[in-house]
Amino acid sequence: LWGCAAAAAAAAGEGPSTPATCSPLCRCDEDGGADCSGRGLTTVPTGLSAFTYYLDISMNNITELPANVFRNLPYLEELRLAGNDLAFIHPEALSGLHQLKVLMLQNNQLKTVPSAALKNLHALQSLRLDANQITSVPEDSFEGLQQLRHLWLDDNSLTEVPVGPLRHQSNLQALTLALNRITHIPDNAFANLSSLVVLHLHNNRIQEIGTNCFNGLDNLETLDLNFNNLKTFPEAIQTLPKLKELGFHSNNIASIPEGAFRRNPLLRTIHLFDNPLSFVGTTAFQNLSDLHSLMLRGASMMQDFPSLTGTINLESLTLTGTNIRGIPEDLCEDLTVLRTLDLSYNEIEDLPSFQGCARLQDISLQHNQIRQIDRGTFQGMSSLRVLDLSRNQIKFIHRDAFLSLSALTNLDLSLNSLASVPTAGLSALNQLKLTGNVELRNGLMSKSLPKLRSITVPYAYQCCAFVACDSAVNSAEDDERRNAFGGEEEMERIPLVMHCSPGAFKPCEHLLGSWM
Amino acid sequence: QHKQVTGVSSQGCQGGCQTCSVYNGCLTCKPKLFIHLERDGMRQFGVCLASCPNGFYGTRSPDRNDCIKCGSECDSCFNRNFCLRCRAGSYLHKGKCTESCPDGLVPSDTMKECV
Repeated sequence: LWGCAAAAAAAAGEGPSTPATCSPLCRCDEDGGADCSGRGLTTVPTGLSAFTYYLDISMNNITELPANVFRNLPYLEELRLAGNDLAFIHPEALSGLHQLKVLMLQNNQLKTVPSAALKNLHALQSLRLDANQITSVPEDSFEGLQQLRHLWLDDNSLTEVPVGPLRHQSNLQALTLALNRITHIPDNAFANLSSLVVLHLHNNRIQEIGTNCFNGLDNLETLDLNFNNLKTFPEAIQTLPKLKELGFHSNNIASIPEGAFRRNPLLRTIHLFDNPLSFVGTTAFQNLSDLHSLMLRGASMMQDFPSLTGTINLESLTLTGTNIRGIPEDLCEDLTVLRTLDLSYNEIEDLPSFQGCARLQDISLQHNQIRQIDRGTFQGMSSLRVLDLSRNQIKFIHRDAFLSLSALTNLDLSLNSLASVPTAGLSALNQLKLTGNVELRNGLMSKSLPKLRSITVPYAYQCCAFVACDSAVNSAEDDERRNAFGGEEEMERIPLVMHCSPGAFKPCEHLLGSWM
Repeated sequence: QHKQVTGVSSQGCQGGCQTCSVYNGCLTCKPKLFIHLERDGMRQFGVCLASCPNGFYGTRSPDRNDCIKCGSECDSCFNRNFCLRCRAGSYLHKGKCTESCPDGLVPSDTMKECV
């Protein structure tokens, strides 16, 4: 039928791109799609083809849907009514839409779920009701919707989880109740949602949740509780064996208990920042073999380094602002794929050997109480690029400590108590910070740092080894550099360090002139 | 006067824009609409939408609503990890797009799903 209509249109010179029936207010394509969006319409356009399967009337000014308004569109599968001013939908408005799969009603003025109008949409899979002003969800709201898989109720004015209306939605796979005013989650709130994979509850006012509130969510993989008022750790997650992504950042949780995630072995990401954490159970993060990143900041009363046995695929570990004094000797036995390690702002005194963490590229240990660096501390770490040891109390660094750091480009040793700095192995270094080591008085050999581009030193005269203090290049220094690199052949001129602070000058010569 | 100073205005903005500029289109949107950045050569052009285009999903927060790219295998999605429709050649099963279906299910090319 569709082919004949199109042929007739072509014969009539309307051209293949103008289907036989379309409303002048819309743009229709040959596949049965009609786009009437953003045209200032106040009513549903008429004159559309009976075979229309996709109708977009979003971003118009339609305030209500009268009865049977779509009765001539029995093949409609997707209906977009978003961004109108819809406040009323007649109970018979959507009758006849037996094949409708997607209904978009977001960004309207609905105050309740139009349950009567939805009743016979037996094929409906996706229902968007987000960004309305819904305060109530009648018990029978989703009764006829046996195929419903995706439901958006976010950005409304709900004060509680619609437990009753959701009770029979065993096919529901994704649900968002975010950006509402929900204050608590009762036990068994989602009991029959056995197919649910994604549940968003962020940006509500949730203060407490029942210990069994997530019972029945056997297939849940993503749970988003961010930006709520939770005071205690959501123990209810213990009933979520398939959980992969968990967020409860920006809450008021003070402690994470021992074994917090022992029943969630598949966790990949845990977002828990911006909580006033003061205690973290040492066994909380064990055996999470899919966890890639762990970020714990400011758990100020935490004393013991968390055990990470079995959490073998961690690539990034951030643990800052605690009272931790030591790092387990066996840390790297489990963390063999670790790439970034941030243990700054703790009370760490002694360092273990990081040798097992062979893939580590970035270590931050600033703001601790570290006193010395042994020979084996960074042995074998040929991937390490950035090492920050600033603001510690390091007096001694073994001369071979940096021997294997062939990829290190940035080394910050500033504000320690160093009298000397070993440079063997630092052939790739291009930034070195040494300010604040007041005992470090002797000159530094630029030869062993051929790639250096920027250095900060405790005393200005030390810059003269890197940046010419006089206008004429000192020929002795030039010979010395030439010998260091094979003498006869044309020497590849090693560009001098571009930046050395606090400024290169020889105080005596420059202040008192050449007769010195 | 505001327009002269920064080229940004709240007058004369199209569709759901709150503020806009001649060069970059919408800069902020009216409440509850999603801002989506379209690329026009080197230029980015902001548009305000009630639903994000195919290949993007909407994220809502109290002060801003954005269109974010779906995973590469999705034609449309609920969030980054949950597809609603797959691209050609893969089949949808519980929010995942896979090239083959789990035991007991068969791929349907018309529905692009495992059924």
